[in-house]
Amino acid sequence: MIKITVDGRELEVDPTLTIIQAAAQNGIEIPHFCWHPKLTVSGNCRMCLVEIEKMPKLVISCATQVADGMVIKTKSEKVVKARNAVMEFLLINHPLDCPICDEAGECKLQDYTYKYSTGYSRFQEDKVHKPKRIELGPNIILDVERCILCSRCIRFSEEIAHQKVLTFTERGTHVVLTTFPGTQLDNPYAMNVVDICPVGALTNRDFRFKARVWEMSSTESICIGCARGCNTNVWVRNNEILRLTPRDNEEVNSSWMCDEGRVHSFKFVSSENRLNGPMIRKDGILVDVGWDEAISKVVSELHTYRKHEIAGISSPYSTNEDNYIFARFFKEVIGSKSFGFLPHTIPGADDDLLIRADKTPNSLGASLLRIPGENESSGIDHILKGISSGTIKVLYVLEDNIAADPRIAEILTNLEMLIVHSSTKNETTIRADVVLSASTFAEKYGTYTNFTGYVQRVRPAVAMIEQERAPDGMAMSRWDKFAARNDSWGKGNKRDARSSWRILAAIASAMGVKMKYASSEEVFKELVERVPAFKGLSYSKIGTHGAPIKKEFIKVSKP
Amino acid sequence: MDLISLIILLAKILIIMFGVLVLGAAMAVLAERRVSAFIQERLGPNRVGPGGIIQPFADVVKLVMKEDIVPVQANRFIHDMAPIISISVALSTFAIIPFGNSIELFGRQIKLIIADVDIGILYLLALTSIGVYGVSLAGWSSNNKYSLLGGLRSSAQLISYELSMGLSLIGVLMISSTLRLDRIVLLQTEYFWGIIPKWNIFLQPLGFITFVIAAFAETNRLPFDLPEAEPELVGGYHTEYTGMKFGLFFLAEYANVIASSAVTVTLFLGGWHLPYVDQLGISPFILSLLQILTFLVKVILLVLFFIVVRWTIPRFRYDQLMHIGWKVMLPVAIANFLITGLIMLFR
Amino acid sequence: MKTYGPIIRKKDLTLLQKSYIPEILKGLRMTIGQMFKPTFTSQFPEERFKPEPSFRGRPVLVTEQGVERCVACGLCARVCPSLAIEVQAGETELMKERYPVKFEINMLRCIFCGFCEEVCPEEAIIMSNDYLLVFSSQEEALFGKERLLKSTEELKERLEFLRNHR
Repeated sequence: MIKITVDGRELEVDPTLTIIQAAAQNGIEIPHFCWHPKLTVSGNCRMCLVEIEKMPKLVISCATQVADGMVIKTKSEKVVKARNAVMEFLLINHPLDCPICDEAGECKLQDYTYKYSTGYSRFQEDKVHKPKRIELGPNIILDVERCILCSRCIRFSEEIAHQKVLTFTERGTHVVLTTFPGTQLDNPYAMNVVDICPVGALTNRDFRFKARVWEMSSTESICIGCARGCNTNVWVRNNEILRLTPRDNEEVNSSWMCDEGRVHSFKFVSSENRLNGPMIRKDGILVDVGWDEAISKVVSELHTYRKHEIAGISSPYSTNEDNYIFARFFKEVIGSKSFGFLPHTIPGADDDLLIRADKTPNSLGASLLRIPGENESSGIDHILKGISSGTIKVLYVLEDNIAADPRIAEILTNLEMLIVHSSTKNETTIRADVVLSASTFAEKYGTYTNFTGYVQRVRPAVAMIEQERAPDGMAMSRWDKFAARNDSWGKGNKRDARSSWRILAAIASAMGVKMKYASSEEVFKELVERVPAFKGLSYSKIGTHGAPIKKEFIKVSKP
Repeated sequence: MDLISLIILLAKILIIMFGVLVLGAAMAVLAERRVSAFIQERLGPNRVGPGGIIQPFADVVKLVMKEDIVPVQANRFIHDMAPIISISVALSTFAIIPFGNSIELFGRQIKLIIADVDIGILYLLALTSIGVYGVSLAGWSSNNKYSLLGGLRSSAQLISYELSMGLSLIGVLMISSTLRLDRIVLLQTEYFWGIIPKWNIFLQPLGFITFVIAAFAETNRLPFDLPEAEPELVGGYHTEYTGMKFGLFFLAEYANVIASSAVTVTLFLGGWHLPYVDQLGISPFILSLLQILTFLVKVILLVLFFIVVRWTIPRFRYDQLMHIGWKVMLPVAIANFLITGLIMLFR
Repeated sequence: MKTYGPIIRKKDLTLLQKSYIPEILKGLRMTIGQMFKPTFTSQFPEERFKPEPSFRGRPVLVTEQGVERCVACGLCARVCPSLAIEVQAGETELMKERYPVKFEINMLRCIFCGFCEEVCPEEAIIMSNDYLLVFSSQEEALFGKERLLKSTEELKERLEFLRNHR
């Protein structure tokens, strides 16, 4: 540890750090464009210039290592002047199209212009015009005019995504970011360059022009696209998810997420396929009914069958809370041991960065809650065999589209009664006799356990029909705060769905086993008490960045 | 009392009720709106009917259609009763006002007064005292601080000014030595030296001024409209009234204005007396009609005076109101009847 | 407790002045005299008043050669103190890249403050001289693009005014 002085403050820092890192660790922000904590230093934007005593010139803090006794000034007159100059240079050719630019509102250049620029330009000639709207890859659109040549995207795709396709060509003010001829930026992590781009040069094609940043509310959540469970922010406007962005979490996803998760993992939440309220099959057709009717239908059906005729398939897509209540429901209410879950793994799809072959967010959680997986006795094989032989007559499926597998879909015709929790219409709900509409990860409180045993929380970002944003503590945009009942922009599309644990608890209570929970936090409290793997965890301890379960449990339950 | 006189009485009541409430009060409202508009260089309501003449009836239709809102904590019965008290008191006043001498119709001599009572003026004073109840009960039953303050103010104000009102009348009573209003009017039909009509305004100028000021206070008209002072009390006692219940208060105010004018005309301005015409020897029937017309014109002029004053003089402060009531009006009224008494004694 | 100095009066009032009656008569003469002056009222539905260019009527969207100037940046929606404006952007092949797929002003919410006009970077939303706004339902008060779009020719006066005074 060495001592340095920054703006009069004495700091003790690690000698291997650069000035900008040391300052950031101590809460001092030095403005920067090209430097990114996860990428190598390139030092080409010159925004992070600082003054060091006894050095003749200003130095860039991102590439200068700290030394003992260094006295650094980040706000001296010289530094301020240098920053003004850098900003003026950057803005010479930067188009003034903030009204059109998607980055406006979260743009580093815009923020720094307010903070560090004089707001005055001496440049009177015409700006250099460069190509706009270039498709850099399937998901990314490039506007070269806006580019400030920080090279973050080039370094990201080389160092993190290992796809060397981006480069600068031409010279001087005519420098252009481009891909090598015949290639495009199409690696599975390509869209992270949109996040790290300090300006609006690289934009997300999926989200392009959909909303302004300040119109959305952001909720801390996770991506449920695979077993990784990348930390995300869910951006919602008018009760509709518009985009996901990754959130820093060193234990899980660093600062990145894959394009698949970013573009596709949330679309089902507001798809036209969404179920809106429970349904019952009457005369061969599924009809919308109220919750009370659906629940009493399930209760009466379950009462008519003997317990060994009933089997359940829980879901690695569901939260720990849902799976726990499902297990309790089967053990205590029905008294059946035939329940398990179906894993969804694409063999060999693992990569060395984030993407996992296991395409479900909670298979470890489901296993830890002692729900048998595919190869275990009384597990899924046992159930499927029972169905085809006719010994199992009722199947209760929790949030899993089991009929997507044509082999299983064929067996399902043998059933007398199929009860399904689902958030969307799919192959399974078509065959079901009772469909209970379940809320998605973006509509409820709950926890998922990722493949390393990291328990992470999700929070509601989209309101269901029974929720109001303000009293339920959901994130609110300005629009949400002030919308009146007759404002078209405030209503959003609220769907009728409930958390699976709530539906199950209601059915259990109707069948005579008291299950009364006020919130999913209460369910989790009980789960923590009863399931040893989760010992010591709580919602507040998990917080926004998750908490690990003990290593020994992972080895035991993962064959 | 035979059947015919009963029918005649009912006819008189109906005509007066209709005349005062429907035509009088409604036209007074319209006059107020249009006069105020002209004073402010506007036009006022001129769309409904020729010159806006049907406007007040359109307003009544609107008020009747409106929802009647009663505050949750209000005393519902009293809340409903208050406007009825106000309007019925205002209308009852007309029972004793002679709007003409008598008229011969179908061979019958009909006195142009509904109730020819001996104690007309006492009845008048009694009624004005009851009038306070409408306002103060409305204020109290609404269970609203503004209403309550309005109600309190009006009771304080009415009690203060009733005193000087009563005292300013004593001069008139002393001269005429009767309480009958028709008698008082008849006494005013004589002439001084055969030229100047013997109206009480000439005999009792001080009494006239104090009476008119007190009448303004009693009707809650502008220099004295503290009970409903909008800037301070929202609407005063009728803050919590909507629909036709509010409309009743509104009509009662104008009925009161007309009543006060009628009483002033009767007591001080010679009532239905049209000077000099009675000596021309016109047929009695036409003379009677002329007298009714005279009475109406006098009342209308006085109502217009009420209206113009409203748009001229700003509201008094509460302390000024009390100061005028107790320290100016009361001594002046007492002085007035003392002087009257002294003159009568030494003449 | 605040203390007041002696009341200073230029001269004591005479009894007549104190009685207030001459002043009331003066006032009455004034108000009655006023009654016979010509009125300023205009007969509205028959006589329409033509507002000056500085008048802030309902906000409208400016179109140039049939294309709205608006790029759906949403600044008007952000600055609107009564949240009357809703904008949904979309992509277009034109130079401006963005255009409003939906532009809706709730005229029941609008307070005619003109902030949207002031904040607009494209001079695309301006206050017109249209002040005749009557609705018979809440839905009718939602002005979509079809009712908001107006050509530069129609808005010439206001645009000129803005150019000269801003």
